[in-house]
Amino acid sequence: MEVEVPAVAEGSNETQKWSVAVDSENKATEFRLMSIAKPHMRAFHLSWISFFSCFVSSFAAPPLLPIIRDNLNLTATDIGNAGVASVSGAVFARVAMGTACDLVGPRLASASLILLTAPAVYCTSLINSATSYLLVRFFTGFSLATFVSTQFWMSSMFSAPVVGRANGFSGGWGNLGGGATQLIMPLVFSLVRDIGAAQFTAWRIAFFVPAFFQMLTAFSILIFGQDTPDGNFQRLKKSGQKPKDEFSKVLFHGVTNYRGWILALTYGYCFGVELTIDNIIAEYFYDRFNLKLHTAGIIAASFGLANLFSRPGGGFISDAVSKRFGMRGRLWALWLCQTFAGVLCIILGLVGSLSVSVVVMIIFSVFVQAACGMTFGIVPFVSRRSLGVISGMTGGGGNVGAVVTQLIFFKGSKFSKERGITLMGVMIIICTLPICLIYFPQWGGMFFGPSSKKVTEEDYYLGEWNSKEQEKGSHHASLKFADNSVSERGRKHNTSTRPNDEPTPTYV
Amino acid sequence: MASRLVVVASLLVLCCLAGICYGKGHFSSLKKTLDVTASPKKGQVLKAGIDKITVTWGLNKTLPAGTDSAYQTVKVKLCYAPISQKDRAWRKTEDDLSRDKTCQHKIVAKPYDASNKTVNHFEWVIERDVPTATYFVRAYAFDSNDAEVAYGQTTDAKKTTTLFEIQAISGRHASLDICSICFSVFSVMSLFVFFYIEKRKGKVSK
Repeated sequence: MEVEVPAVAEGSNETQKWSVAVDSENKATEFRLMSIAKPHMRAFHLSWISFFSCFVSSFAAPPLLPIIRDNLNLTATDIGNAGVASVSGAVFARVAMGTACDLVGPRLASASLILLTAPAVYCTSLINSATSYLLVRFFTGFSLATFVSTQFWMSSMFSAPVVGRANGFSGGWGNLGGGATQLIMPLVFSLVRDIGAAQFTAWRIAFFVPAFFQMLTAFSILIFGQDTPDGNFQRLKKSGQKPKDEFSKVLFHGVTNYRGWILALTYGYCFGVELTIDNIIAEYFYDRFNLKLHTAGIIAASFGLANLFSRPGGGFISDAVSKRFGMRGRLWALWLCQTFAGVLCIILGLVGSLSVSVVVMIIFSVFVQAACGMTFGIVPFVSRRSLGVISGMTGGGGNVGAVVTQLIFFKGSKFSKERGITLMGVMIIICTLPICLIYFPQWGGMFFGPSSKKVTEEDYYLGEWNSKEQEKGSHHASLKFADNSVSERGRKHNTSTRPNDEPTPTYV
Repeated sequence: MASRLVVVASLLVLCCLAGICYGKGHFSSLKKTLDVTASPKKGQVLKAGIDKITVTWGLNKTLPAGTDSAYQTVKVKLCYAPISQKDRAWRKTEDDLSRDKTCQHKIVAKPYDASNKTVNHFEWVIERDVPTATYFVRAYAFDSNDAEVAYGQTTDAKKTTTLFEIQAISGRHASLDICSICFSVFSVMSLFVFFYIEKRKGKVSK
C-alpha cells in the first residue's frame, strides 16, 4: 500500500524551473508555439509530428492508386473496401488507446502503437493482391489512434485556458499529414522512377519514406518525451504520486458518462466527414470536372492542408469564447460551427462550376476542421479520471462516422458522388443537434444555466471517486483539476475569490 | 445568387454537351478501313518486359483506292478488353475520343504513305508498365489535323474474339522484400529494447 506523499516531487531532484507559466498541477497556462522547452512545448511538438507521420502513412496509398491499381489489378470495389478498412481499424484502436493512456501514460502508449504499426507500412512494399492491399491499409490505419494519445498528452500538459488551442494545434497539424501525403508520395515516387526504377517497383520503394519517418518519431517520443510535467507515469507511480488506477473503474466511469457518447456521435460528423472527404474528393473533382489526376490531387491536398490554421483556430475560438461565456460558450460555438459546415456541405454537392466548387470546398474545410478543434476544447472537461477513455470514445466515434458515411453514401453506384455529398451535409446537421443535450451541472448547457443546487466543479469531478478511494487519497489529481477548471464558469460567474489562472506556481 | 449560379452552370454544361454531340472525335463516326493483325493467338498469355508483339496494319484490300488519301499518321495502341474494364471506371470506353480510356498504351506511331502498298509491321517488346489484363490491338489513322479519321482492330465489333492476356511484372524484388522484413523486425525489437532499458533504469534508481 503506497503511503500518501505530499506535493513535493520526490523523484525530481533539480528545482523545477518552468519556461512557461504553470498552474497548481504544473500544467502550462500559456502556449508558446515556437518553443521546444521541456516538458510542455516539447511534448506538443513530439506529439503533433508523430501524429502527422501516422496520417502520412495511413493516406500514403490514395495518391499512388493509379499505379497501385494497375500493379495489383484492383477493381473499384477493392479500392472502396480498402478505403473503408483504412479508417475502421482505428475505431477500436482509439478506444483501446484511451484506456492505455489512462493506465501507462501517453508516451509509452503512442510510441508502442507507432512502432507496432510501422511493419504494416514497410510491408506495403511486399503486397501483390487486393486482399493484401486491404490488410496493409487496415493495419496501417490503426496508427491513427495516436490522435487519442496526442489529445491526452496535451490535456495533461496544458491548463484549462489554453487546452483548446493546444489540442487544436496538435490535432490540426497532425491531420495536415492527410493533405501533405497527397503531395509527398507522388513526389517521392517520381524521384525514384526517374532514377531508373520501373513504375511498379518505384511505388513500393516510395513507401519506405513514410515508414522510416514514422519509426523515427516513435524513437524521439521515447527518448525526449515525458508523460506529465512532473515526470513519467512509471516513476510517478513508484514514488506514489500517481496512484495506480483500476482498469475496470476507469472504463466504467468513461463509458457511463453520456456526454462522451454524444461527443463521439458529433465528432463522427466533423472528423468522420473530414476522413471521408480525404478518401473521395480527388476522384470527385477528377470525374465531375474532368481534371487531370495531378490537378485533382492538388485540390484534394488543399482540403487537408487547411488544417494548418482551421483546427487550431477552432481551439482558439473555443478558449476565447470560454473566457467570456464559460462552457456554455464552448457548446454554442461548436453547435453553430458544425451546423454551418453541414450547410456548406449541402451546397458543395449542388454546385456545378469548378471554381465555385473549389471555393465552397475550402470554406467547408475551414468550418468542419474548426468544429473538430472545438470538440476537443470540450472533451478535457467531461471526465478527469477517465480522460483517456472519453478521448478514445470521441476519437473512435470520429472513425465510426467515416465508416458509416462511406458505406451509406459512397459505396457502389447507389448515389452519384455529388448527391452523396449533399446527403452527407444533411446528416451532419441532424447529428450535430444532440449537442443541445449536453449539460454540466456546475456550468450549464446550451439552453440551461448551472444547476440551482449549486453544484461545484469539485462535486462533479470527485463524483468519479467513491469514499473508499477518497480515503486512500487517489482523487487528489481530480481535486486539483476541479480547482483549475473553475475558469469554465465564464466571466460573469468568476467573481469569487478562488485563485484561477495564477501565473506563479504555488509549489511547496 | 446560388440558384442563378446553378442556372448559368447548367447552361454552360448543356452547351458543352451539345458541342460534343455535333463535334468531331467520336468513335462511332470513324470508318473501319484498316486491317490490323497481331501475333498473339487467342487466349495466349504474354509476359511484360520479356515477350514481343508483332503488329501489322494496312488498308483493307476490298476498299476502293483513294480511301486512304487523307491518312497522314497511324498510331497503333494496346487496348483493354471489356472484361478488364469491368468495375474499373478509369478504363471506361466513351464515344467521345478525347474522353475515351480504352486504349492507354501506345505501341507505335508511324507516318502513313498511301502510295506504298506494302503492309506495315512493327515488333514491340511489351513495356514493363503494362498491367495484367486482357487486351486487343487497335490502330487509328490520323489526318493532317491530327484528328482520327479511321481505325482497325484485331478483334470484332463486340470485342470478344482474338483477345490475349498480358502478365505484368510484379515490381517486387528480393532485396526489397528483405529490406521490408528487416526494418519491420527492427521496429518491433527496438520497442522491446526500450522497455528493457526503462525497466533497468527503474531498478537502478530504486
